[in-house]
Formats: sequence, C-alpha cells, structure tokens
Amino acid sequence: MMLSVRDLSVSFRTGGRVVDGIDFDLPAGGSLGIVGESGSGKSMTSLAVMSLLPAGATRTGSIVFDGVDLATLTERAMRAIRGDRIAMVFQDPLSSLNPYYTVGTQIAEAYRSHRAGVSRSAARKAAIEAMERVHIREAGRRVDDYPHQFSGGMRQRVMIAMALITEPELIIADEPTTALDVTVQAQILDLLAEVRRDTGAALVLITHDLAVVSEVADRVVVMRRGRVVETGAAEQIFSDPKHEYTRALLDAVPRIDDEIGELRTTELGTTGGDR
Amino acid sequence: MSIEPLLRARDLVKEFPVAGTAGLLVPAKKFTAVDSVSFDLYAGHTLALVGESGSGKSTTARLAARLIDVTSGTVHLDGRDITALHGRDLQGVRREVQMVFQDPFSSLNPRHTVERIVTAPLVYQKRPVPGGTRRFAQSLMERVGLDPEHVDRYPSQFSGGQAQRIGIARAIAVGPRVLVCDEAVSALDVSVQAQIINLLRGLQSEEGFACLFIAHDLAVVRQIATSVAVMTDGKVVEAGERDDVFDRPQHEYTRKLLAAVPRIRPEWEAARQRNARERETAR
Repeated sequence: MMLSVRDLSVSFRTGGRVVDGIDFDLPAGGSLGIVGESGSGKSMTSLAVMSLLPAGATRTGSIVFDGVDLATLTERAMRAIRGDRIAMVFQDPLSSLNPYYTVGTQIAEAYRSHRAGVSRSAARKAAIEAMERVHIREAGRRVDDYPHQFSGGMRQRVMIAMALITEPELIIADEPTTALDVTVQAQILDLLAEVRRDTGAALVLITHDLAVVSEVADRVVVMRRGRVVETGAAEQIFSDPKHEYTRALLDAVPRIDDEIGELRTTELGTTGGDR
Repeated sequence: MSIEPLLRARDLVKEFPVAGTAGLLVPAKKFTAVDSVSFDLYAGHTLALVGESGSGKSTTARLAARLIDVTSGTVHLDGRDITALHGRDLQGVRREVQMVFQDPFSSLNPRHTVERIVTAPLVYQKRPVPGGTRRFAQSLMERVGLDPEHVDRYPSQFSGGQAQRIGIARAIAVGPRVLVCDEAVSALDVSVQAQIINLLRGLQSEEGFACLFIAHDLAVVRQIATSVAVMTDGKVVEAGERDDVFDRPQHEYTRKLLAAVPRIRPEWEAARQRNARERETAR
C-alpha cells in the first residue's frame, strides 16, 4: 500500500475527539473518496495525514506513506514530503494563494522549494509548462497575472498546476470543486482524472458530494461523527451499501433524473435534531 | 392557462453602477445583472430559477420580492402593479411575499429568542398575534417540525437545519401567498436538505402558497419545482414545465448545465434500489 492509515485519532482539549480510530488504505495510483456530512471528521482526517492540524489538536495512530510513518516525522522532515511527494488541493483557491505575488512566482516557488539548485528561469519555465498542462490558455502571458485576475475555476487550475509541478505520488484534494459552478466543477474533475492518467498519481478526495465520489473514486470511506461506518469498493458502496447510515445517506441524495416524491430521511439519527 | 398568475414579472431589468467608473461629470458604467426577464408564478406552484453564479437569479428574486427597485419592467401581485410601491404601500406586499435565505444563522438575529424571531413580522406589521405571541410561536414551531418547548432558545442553540426551520417559520408566520426561497437548502447537509425539501413541499400543499425557488442545484430543483426557468448572463434562456426542461432541454446552455451535473452511475443506482427492495421483502 502506498498509504496505510491505522487507528488515527484527532482530539481537541476542548472539543473532544473529532476523528476516532479510523483505518484506511490506498494503493499506488488508486483513488479513494472520503465522504461524510459536516462534523464527520473527513477534513480533520486529511489535515491529520498532512500534519496540518490546527493548534490545540492532538493526533495519535500511524500514517504509513511508502513505508514511512508520517506521524513520527519532524515538521522539517514532513515539509520535505508535503508539497513534493504529497500535494494538496483545497476548496478555496483564493485563500490558498498569496494575493501579492503572481501565480507564476508562486508555482515556481513551490517547485524551487523542493528542487534545490533549480534556477529562477528554469522554475518559471516549469511553471508555464504546468499551467499549460492544466489547460490555462496563453500560459506564457498569464504566468505574470495575479490571483484576482483569474476566475474561480481558473484559480483552481492554478492550484492543480502547483500541486502537480513536483510530480507527486499522492494528491489530497479537500472539497476541490465545492465552491465552483457545476459546469466548472465538471471541468476540474475531468482535469484531475487527466492528471492522474498522465502521472499515475494516487488521489484522496474528501467531499460531501456522493455523486462526485461515484464519478472519481474506486474506493470509498464513509465517515460519520469521526468514525468510519463503511468502507469498500465504490461499486459495492453505491450498489449494495451494508451500513444503515450509508443507505440512508444515499436515499437522501436528490436525483436529477427523476422526482422521487418524499425524500427518505429516516435512520440518519436525526431524532431530536438535525445533526 | 386561464387562471391569472399570482405573481407576474414582465421585462425586468436591473442595472448596477460599476464601482470606480464614475467621474465628476461622467456617470458610472452600468452592469446589467438582470436583462429583460419575464415569468408567471401561479398559486400552489413552484417556479425554480436556476443558473450558475452571476446568472442574475438571486437579483431577479429580490426584484420580484420588491426588496430592491427595478431599473425597468413591471411586477404584478395578484393583478396589482407593485413595481413602484414604497413605504406604507410596500408593507402590504411584505404581508403577501416572504423570503427564506441561504444562511439561516446570518438571517436570524442571534440576540432574539425563537419566539421573538418568528413573531417579528406580525409585530412589525402591527398585526394582532393570534392567541398571543407564545402560543402562536409554539404552533409555528410545531408546523415546521421543531420542539415547541424550545421557544425561548436562541439561534445558536440550534443546528443549521433547525435554524433554517426557524427561518421558514418566520416566513410563513404572516400567511404569505408567495414564498421566495433564495438557495434555501444549499448550505445544508444532504440529509438535512432532504428534510427541508420535504417540509417546504408539505407546507406548500397545506397552505397553497406560490414558491419562487432560487437554486443552482439541478437535482434539488427536480424534486421541488413545477416549472423551471434557466438563467445565464442575466437572461432567461429556457423556461417550461419541469419535466420538459429536464428531459427535453432545447437550449444549448441548458443541455450543457444538465450534462455537467455529477451523477451516481445509473447501473449502481438501479442495483441499490433492487437490493433495497429485496431486503424489504425478506423482512
């Protein structure tokens, strides 16, 4: 396995356990979808894997990436892996980009910080190439534009360009299309699929959107209240869900192809509240 | 249809000045957010305005609800021209047209109790509260599926879905004939979203209000709309009965929009339904 997570927990001194002893595996080149509603712990899981947890959070358990337990690494050692062999794409590209630097500078810096001895001009050339690979038109000109000069979808392309420039083995994408319009979302999902096809990178996709997961992932982890309720091949999860919660979650998804009358919402443990 | 529409919008146009383009003697450049939009909304029906960000759907809803003034065009409510009403006359419109917003928390005053929030529209309109504010608030809470015991709680003591129920209770408190829902279920988790959709459908069949439903999620629209208008760049590019628009889209943009929606693979979905039925019968 490229990534093996065992008994991972995240707790806060004040808020208790938000991730509670979860396990999952991802083979090289595979794609894993982690789905759940708000409060399920899915985003904390991805931050825990990257060692990017907010202050006050404690992590236990092991995160074995290519034979090395990331949980045992120093921040310095982790920094060498993060953004190089493991890349990240977040929901909001605008807050992940620095408004004061051109996108080209930022992509090039991401590259140079992991490739000692690469000259500025070579890094700039690599940045333009990366922008071309994510289909940003006139990359040679747009490399000198600032983040605000790009649309939301284009900014997400910039983030993906930055993620793939180091040719990572693993991309962790946390709600990468949630803030985007549906037509742009489709383009970004296609782009992620294309990047994976071309580079062989594995993908962890964290999302609340079951339909997106069904289009992207070959394995699925369903989370609820910090725990994994069900895990399996995407086909099994979507066609023959074993756990009541997974069934209820799938029942609640509105279908675009048909009106399904009263949407079924039982069994979600919502008695006494909506949570 | 021979029945008169409850809400009739004709050639709505809304222009906004572009910030920073005004000079001392030159007026600011204009951005046309809504460009000649017309629609009819009938009692007991739900018209969904769908589109992506910047399509003008929310601005259209605000024009129709008379929250903002039109640049040109007309809005008729039950045959009466409400386009240019102001002040006291507009209060009459507020009695008939109510809004439910996307973010339940930012649209509820955090320092007010549920009782005060849901009875506020009646109080502002200086109307008597039937049976006293407490009993009225509790009956509203029951109708939207909240525990009437929680009438003295504050918004922060509720979950997102419950807070949206409070927003809906406030909207139906005045017995509106038109309910404008602006992305009312967009911020909610899927299970909660389903509950709110069910609630809105149930209330509509009880009360018979017309609903103008603004949404970007086409799957949600399929569950709730009677008819659909698709907007892009401030214009309606396609409008019709829901199933016609979804099953036989005529406009290129509608097709593109429908094709882009992520779907659970139909064969997986069919297998899941089959398995669920088998489990049912095995019981």
